[in-house]
Order: sequence, then structure tokens, then C-alpha cells
Amino acid sequence: MPQPILRVENLRTYFRTDAGVARAVDGVSFEVSPGETLGIVGESGSGKSVTALSVMRLIPVPPGEIQERSKIFFRGEEGEIDLAQASEEQMRKIRGNDIAMIFQEPMTSLNPVFKVGDQIMESLRLHQGLSKRDARDKAIDMLRLVGIPIPEQRVDEYPHQLSGGMRQRVMIAIALACDPKVLIADEPTTALDVTIQAQILELLNRLQEEMGMAIVLITHDLGVVAETCDRVIVMYAGQVFEEGAVRDVFHDPQNPYTEGLLRSIPRLGSDTHRLAVIPGVVPSPTEWPSGCRFHARCPYGWDKTAREEPPLFELSPGRKSKCWLVEHPERREEIRRETGGFTPEGALTGTGAATPAAGDPDTDSVPPVEPEVDS
Amino acid sequence: MSTPEGRAPGGSVIEGDGHLTDVERIPEPGEEQPLPPAKGDSDLRGQTPADIEPPADSLLVVRNLRKYFPIRKGFFSRHVGDVKAVDGVSFFLRKGETMGLVGESGCGKTTTGRTILRMEEPSAGDVFFDGEDVLEMGHEDLRRLRRKAQYVFQDPFSSLNPRMTVGEALREVLTVHKLATGDAADRRVGELLEIVGLRAEHAVRYPHEFSGGQRQRIGIARALAVEPDLIICDEPVSALDVSVQAQVINLLQDLQDEFGLTYLFIAHDLSVVEHISDRVAVMYLGRIVEIAERDALYRNPLMPYTRALLSAVPVADPDHKRDRIVLRGDVPSPSNPPSGCPFHPRCHHPLKDADCAKIVPPLADKGGGHFAACIKVPLGSGE
Repeated sequence: MPQPILRVENLRTYFRTDAGVARAVDGVSFEVSPGETLGIVGESGSGKSVTALSVMRLIPVPPGEIQERSKIFFRGEEGEIDLAQASEEQMRKIRGNDIAMIFQEPMTSLNPVFKVGDQIMESLRLHQGLSKRDARDKAIDMLRLVGIPIPEQRVDEYPHQLSGGMRQRVMIAIALACDPKVLIADEPTTALDVTIQAQILELLNRLQEEMGMAIVLITHDLGVVAETCDRVIVMYAGQVFEEGAVRDVFHDPQNPYTEGLLRSIPRLGSDTHRLAVIPGVVPSPTEWPSGCRFHARCPYGWDKTAREEPPLFELSPGRKSKCWLVEHPERREEIRRETGGFTPEGALTGTGAATPAAGDPDTDSVPPVEPEVDS
Repeated sequence: MSTPEGRAPGGSVIEGDGHLTDVERIPEPGEEQPLPPAKGDSDLRGQTPADIEPPADSLLVVRNLRKYFPIRKGFFSRHVGDVKAVDGVSFFLRKGETMGLVGESGCGKTTTGRTILRMEEPSAGDVFFDGEDVLEMGHEDLRRLRRKAQYVFQDPFSSLNPRMTVGEALREVLTVHKLATGDAADRRVGELLEIVGLRAEHAVRYPHEFSGGQRQRIGIARALAVEPDLIICDEPVSALDVSVQAQVINLLQDLQDEFGLTYLFIAHDLSVVEHISDRVAVMYLGRIVEIAERDALYRNPLMPYTRALLSAVPVADPDHKRDRIVLRGDVPSPSNPPSGCPFHPRCHHPLKDADCAKIVPPLADKGGGHFAACIKVPLGSGE
């Protein structure tokens, strides 16, 4: 196993909002090695995007702040540095050069008044000091690498002249122009149609083999994780709930939240008549529930889970679950026998008797919002 | 992403050599795609949905529906062309069934749904709802239609008035359709909220006080207020969090069982559509290119586009193996669709030839009520 290139320890990123302090990321740790793809999966509000922006130090300060004792170690050419402590000048050298990022919506992250070629050349000239002519040649090479036809012509076009899939390819070309060691891809295919998504995932896969960078792939789509990642961390309410190799996590989820997610999605070719349901709503980052943050929605919960927050137990090397069931495995079987665990009946029947399924606006009156971060 | 040999995750690549170089080329207007000469194996036989007498229990019959948006240019707004958003769509919907309408963005699925309920005026075609001609309806008839056919939108927040409480929004529906007033209306509002799994007390709250899933329940309650026969659901769960999608899908199924509803379920998510539908229609560039019973379509897709679409869906199982077909290029513009089969520039069918660029394939019954718009799929393939 190669040495991790990026190691995040106990990352906490809070935002001051009118409704109180939003603990968007609250003690997240993970690492990723060269050539490896780590998936970060979670729903909106789980803190996965804020985690990525924290690593890039793109959190707007204020209202956001990376808390003390958060560590973001990056192993660069001059040894390991802590990005949480790095100066803005150091970060400018790292961003787009050693660590690059691609965003969900390529149209909003491309500048509409510059030609795509200029936008690729910008980082090449800044970080690698290439001459205008060399940078342009390299930009054309990059466009060719990401599968854009007639790159000599496309290099002089504007973003609006390209389709959605092509724009995402341009974003990838910009991100990879300086040969980064780590690529953070935040929902890179969410805005795209499935056939274009397949093209982009295939492209990332090929480029990783050719260039050997580490990829952190952030997504809400469990299917994308299953097909592209080596390891995965599952986030809920700003914390890591489960971690492990993709095959282990998908085949034998240890955390009830992961189990609920996997059981509630319809799968192509499966014959389930009724989907299992995770009852309730996603909580708000300004008022995380006490104890385990998932306890109110968890069929396995008991008084202890509502009172005490479980640690992220390490089950075996690299395999972790943040759940008291690790210490009380008998409970899982017991509940499954009694109530079936996650069932469709977490849903409602026409009578309206089973209202808890819809959550209760009395207590969850604030809709789950991800803190405003302009990306 | 450590799958070996540059292969697509989860399977091997049929198309090309696994590299995407040069595949995303959008043909310039007028540019000819090099195609092998026609081999004479094209099959145009088979009845189309427009030829067939719809079954007696059809609630909705759509025939050759077209919706063109004119493109105007210049000082005098000269009419220079049309965006053919919906270009000859025919299908029927039986009472109590759910038909899924899937396709990529821009394929015309939403416009089809809106045109059926006259939220957009169609350019041509016929729509019959319960035997009545929808396109001939006047203002008063349309009001009656909307008591029987309702629409649920993707984004419940933008379709709810932020200044009206949920109770007011629901009561408005009852008033407009003269269904209930006074205490009876209040009781009905409470009842509707309970039907969709909220509580009667929630009537005094405003839309922003609810989460996304709860708002979608309110959107569904509003559609149910008139006790409709048909609900057109336009991407009802795609804006919702993964963990609440299943709640709303189950709710829609429960309501169908309880009230005998008929659904036209418009969505881009093929897994959700497979889960909820009895029959499925696939759209591409304004046309239905395949329509069949759910299992027939998912187990034996005939149209090359449907195959590619299904193979592209990521499945949440690391051991899931399949032959992924990576499609060439993007969806062409509906203002300038390719000649012949609209899919032919991206098609990977081994028999593709010059006929594909010349002949507009009819949506023909390839056997057993499995319709596909491909001249290279022989009659009898559907059985």
C-alpha cells in the first residue's frame, strides 16, 4: 500500500448563520493514496461538499471557519504540510497545481467571456511558467486527451458553444493541465444525462490510469460509487458513519444508515415490489440531534443511542462504523426478527396514521439546507 | 477506478476501443455520416400505436401529438424553423396502470406531459381523455378536465405559493372546482394532509416550513384534492434526497392502490421508472422510440438507444457486470434533427447502413405489443 498523499484528520468546519452555528463538517477523517479513488457519499447537507472545499481552503471566511485542531496533511514534493495551517500564498501554489477540483455545474465554473483555451492556459502559465505558445500547445493536447474532437478549433471557442458533456470535459482538462496529485471531483456527473455520465466516468477512469493521481469522488449516487471507487466513506450529518472497501460496504453494510440507503433505492433489474424506507427527514446542521445523529430515523435505536454519541469504531483495518451496534451486535438480529429493520412500512398507508414517516415540522421546521457556499 | 485495461467500470466496452478520443464529434450541419451501403435487411413491417384501436379500458389516448416551437430571427421575426419538441407521439394509457416516460433531457418528455393537459397548446395531433377530445375543449370543458387529470411537478417549492399557507393552497383548489366550502373544506384539507402522511394541524404552515419530501407530499395532496383519475407526475422524486425518495415512491403506490389512480410517470431515472411502472415508453428527440410492458422493455430492449441507455445506468452493486455501450456524442439539437432515424449518428447497431439515414423508422409492433422504432429489428423480435 503506497503512502497516503492526502490525510484529513478530525476536520471541523463551522458556519455562523442567523439560525446559529451550523456544524457542517464535524470531525471528519479520511486518507487517499496515489492511484486510488475514494468515494464520499452522502445526502444534501451531509457535509461532503464542505469537506472538499475545506481541503481546497475555499471556505468563505467569515461566515465559515475551519476549526482549530483540524488537520489536512498533503504530502508534496517538499514533504508533508498541513493545509489547514498553510498561508494563502502557499495555497495558491497548491490549488490547481497539486490539488485540483472539478465541480458539478461546469457552466457556472467556466468563465463565459474567455475562450476555453485561455482558461486552460491560465493555470499552465501561472503554475508552470510556460510561454504563451507552449501553453496553447499544451491546452490543445489536454483537449485532445479528454476526447474533444478538433481541439485546434475548439481551443478558440467559448463555453456556451459547447454541450454540457463537452464543458465537463473542458473542466477536467483545466483540472488536469498541471498534472495534479489529487483530483477532487464534486458531483462531476450529476448535471449530466446517463449516457454522458458514462462517458465522463470512463474518461476519469482512463486518465487516472495514465496519470496516476488520487481521486476523491463526491456523490450522492450509490451506483456511481459502486462502479468507480475503491474505497468509500459514508457521511451523515457532518460525520463519517461508515468507511471501508466498496465491496465490503455495499455487500455487508455495518452502519444502519448505509443499510437504509442501500435498501431504499430501486435497483435496475431487481424485483422488489415495495421499497424499504428510512423514516423522517434529514436534520438541520444548526441543530444536530443529540446522541447518534441518526437515532431518530434508525429502527435499531434504543435509549443509549439517543443519549450518547458512538465513536467511529474500527472493525478491522480500514473498516469503520459509527454505531453502538458494534458493541451490541445481538440487537441487530433481535430487531430484525421483531420488526424487520428497515421496512416499507416506515412509509405510510392511506389512513395517515403513520405520520412519523413524514417527519414532524414541529421539531424539524427548518428545511435541510447546505450552508451557502459559492463554488 | 482501478478496473483493468481501460474498461468501463463494471463491464467491457462494446463500442470503440475503450477510448473516447474522437467519439464525441457532433456532426456539422449538412455533414454526411459515412454509412455502409444499404443491405436490404430493413424491416418496416408492424403496426404502430397510431394504427391500433386502443383497448376499451383506455383512459388516455394520444395520437400523433406534435408540439413545435417556432424559431424566429431578424427584425421582422421571420419564421426560420421549428424546434420539434414533440414530433408525432402516440400511445394509450389504460385505467389504473402506470406508464413510465423516460428519456434524456431535451427529449420532449415534459412537453408531452404538458401538452396532453393543454398547459401548452399542441401543434397537431389528437388527445382523448375518457373518450372526450381534449384538443376541442373550451374553457369550461378544460376546467372539468382538470378535475379528472392533475399534474405533479418536479420542484414542489416553486409550484407552491410561498405566501399562502398549505391549508389556503388546498382550499383554493376546492373553491375553484366548487367541491367544498366552509367547514366541509377545512375538514377536507385536514383529510388530504393525512392521506399524504402529514397532519391536519400542518394546514396553518407555509411551504418554507417543510422539507423537500414534505413539500412534494403537499404537491401530491393538491393534485388529489379534486379526486382525479389521472395524475401526470413530472420527475416527482428527482429533486428529493435519496433517503426520502422511497417514502414518496411508496406513497404514490399506496394512493394508486387506494384510489385506483392512473399515472403517467415522467422521469429520467431508469431504476425508479422500472420500479413503479407497468409499461414504459422511451423518448428520443421528440419521438417515442420504444414502448413495451415493463419487463419486456428492461429484459429485452430492442431499440439500440434503449440498450445504450440501460447499460449506462450505474448500479449500486460492485459485482454487477454488464457490457456497457458508451454512446458516441451528444443528443443532436431538436431544431436540426438528423435525417432518417434520429438516433443513427450515435447508433452502434451492427447492421446500421444507408437506409438508417434515409428511412424514418416507424414505431412498429415487433411482436407481442413490443413497439420499437428501428428498421434493423425484425418483426417477431418482441415475442
